[in-house]
Amino acid sequence: MKISTEKFTELAKKEVEKARARPFLKMVPHSLYQKRKAGLATLPDAAAAQAYGAAIRSEAINRLPELLEEFEKKATANGAKVFWARTAKEAREYIVNLASERGAKFVIKGKSMVTEEIGLNEALSDHGIEPWEADLGEFIIQQMHRPPFHIVGPAINVPVEEIRDLFMAKGIMKEPTLDPVALGWAARRFLREKFHRAEFGVTGVNMAVAETGTIINLENEGNIRFAKSSPRTQVSVMTLEKVVPTMKDAMHLIRLLSRNCSGQNISAYVSMDSGPKQDGEIDGPEELIIVIVDNGRSGIYQDPKARDALRCIRCAACLNICPVYRQIGGYAYGWVYSGPMGQVLMPLLLGLDKTQDIYRACSLCGACKSVCPAGIDHPALFLYYRSLDVSTDHSFKGKRRPWREALFFKAWSMAVQRFWIWDTGISVTRPFINKNSENGVIHNMKGAFGGWFRKRDLPPMAEKTFHEKWEEIKKTR
Amino acid sequence: MKEVSLFIPCTVDLFLPLIGEATVSLLRRAGVTPVYRRGQTCCGQPAMNSGYRKEAKKAAKHFIELFGDDEVIVSPSGSCVCMVKHHYPELLADEPEWSRRAAEVARRVYELSQYLVDVLNVTDMGAAYQGKVAYHESCHVLRGLGVSTQPKKLISAVKGTELVSMNQDDFCCGFGGEFASHYPDISESMVQDKVQNYIDSGADLLILCEPGCLLNIGGYLSRHHPEKRAMHLANFLAQNGREMPR
Repeated sequence: MKISTEKFTELAKKEVEKARARPFLKMVPHSLYQKRKAGLATLPDAAAAQAYGAAIRSEAINRLPELLEEFEKKATANGAKVFWARTAKEAREYIVNLASERGAKFVIKGKSMVTEEIGLNEALSDHGIEPWEADLGEFIIQQMHRPPFHIVGPAINVPVEEIRDLFMAKGIMKEPTLDPVALGWAARRFLREKFHRAEFGVTGVNMAVAETGTIINLENEGNIRFAKSSPRTQVSVMTLEKVVPTMKDAMHLIRLLSRNCSGQNISAYVSMDSGPKQDGEIDGPEELIIVIVDNGRSGIYQDPKARDALRCIRCAACLNICPVYRQIGGYAYGWVYSGPMGQVLMPLLLGLDKTQDIYRACSLCGACKSVCPAGIDHPALFLYYRSLDVSTDHSFKGKRRPWREALFFKAWSMAVQRFWIWDTGISVTRPFINKNSENGVIHNMKGAFGGWFRKRDLPPMAEKTFHEKWEEIKKTR
Repeated sequence: MKEVSLFIPCTVDLFLPLIGEATVSLLRRAGVTPVYRRGQTCCGQPAMNSGYRKEAKKAAKHFIELFGDDEVIVSPSGSCVCMVKHHYPELLADEPEWSRRAAEVARRVYELSQYLVDVLNVTDMGAAYQGKVAYHESCHVLRGLGVSTQPKKLISAVKGTELVSMNQDDFCCGFGGEFASHYPDISESMVQDKVQNYIDSGADLLILCEPGCLLNIGGYLSRHHPEKRAMHLANFLAQNGREMPR
């Protein structure tokens, strides 16, 4: 997938217009947000449960190397094979080669963000192995050649009419319908045949339990369970940070993930795999291969602040509440992740230089932080990235800021600690600003603040500022 | 009488001094004496939010020097209070002496409604206003300081006033400092939604506790809905919802 994080502002403008033209786009995240609220209300103490989740994720991330080793040991003992992929490329090549070696004509896929991140579908197609997305939303966007609009509901933005037309054009169904259930069945029937002949399944992982070597998936459609249990070869792809210390920890995260994501007490399907089919068992894959993808994450782990970005459990509560995501949806972010979780993760994976707008296009409202079950302080991370950018820190490819901005803050910092400069600055600036004032309102002003005035006015600078008026104010009673 | 040190944000000082005057008047009504330390500049938020930590640190040190010994510091801005309360200690963490002083100051700084209700224990400021008002939960007031019931108590105690509910009252209005002018497409759409929710609420006045939000929402109203008004809580309480001549 082409990465276009550098075109954020331009893409966002288009998406804002689209969203305003189609108000239902804004309803979707809001209804998910309402469901989450109701879901959390079923917990005896939601705040404590969220804090417990944050503690689990914090411990997991801070013990990452040790937990991963333990997980590998246990998973291997269970009969799984573990492959470590340093880069996206290594992961892609390994899976493509494996599929070729096993003689797979096609691959059946369960919904997974990491395979989007490593661009697995394109690589498989390039080698003549057709990937079939089995999650309904993923299936739709795969047919449409679009990126996910939302990390949990990749096609939530696609109107039902477009899905009807798509299914007709691709021969997925014969009679046109707008009934969502009928559309779902059409996709099911179409994919069922793929499942029955499937030799090779690829899915993601929600949690990897170090204590037991178990991988856990949560879903609502059953396609992941199918993709894991029906083919001969099961490949489960995970990134480093999916590991949690104990099964008890995983159980708590399941409570939180379901509720924060969709408001459910538990998702319709929860599947746990501890190794492939054992002797005497009647079903299950003959081989289970767990691909652990680094793709820059061990570098993120090295930084004790940035590390917090790895706590994310992909519930998407932050997307649903983010006022910016609600205005622009998922496409403007320019890659597979979106919303606040994407804004904290993508700059670290792609480099601060290629994502400047991603971590700056945020009003720091803190709504994301307030809902996060993993305790991520997104605004604090944005401030951190911005500071690395300003100081041209190379660890995550900080880029220099525009010289005008740097000069402005240099001058500002001199004035801010010397009142006489500050006060002189005010007297000098006031006439320049206030010359734009008409009847006590500034409607327009050229320069750096032009963006403000497209749809907003500003009061002029006070003829007498508070500090200039203080002696007068002091006397009034 | 107990002295309270006024922390007047630069937005208030330069563009909205009436919020400062109303703050003075409310504190006096509540039985304390507001004092103003000359030499106040900016708390450092713009630099902090843009990533200029070194520069923001200078503002922090200036603030701490100026307000250092004041027992109570009160400000009519949630985000500026957040800056002092939450960001100063973090910003100065690697300088032990400054870090200690930052922690001290952080303990003594209050947002206006928080100080009136939680510390002075007053809710009825003696104001009267006939009409319906809605309250905008500014991000830094609500999520930054956990202040939400305090302004609502103060509003509800105003004679003749009905506090009506507003959809998405806790959603960001799209100000965010530099965010508003750097990303106008997104910011405008956010303030447009906020104003629509205000209009739909049926209120004839929107009250808030954050000068930044007031510049944003007020600036949008001035251009598109001049008949609708937004007002800082301090002015609402001190002037009974009337605009004061500048």
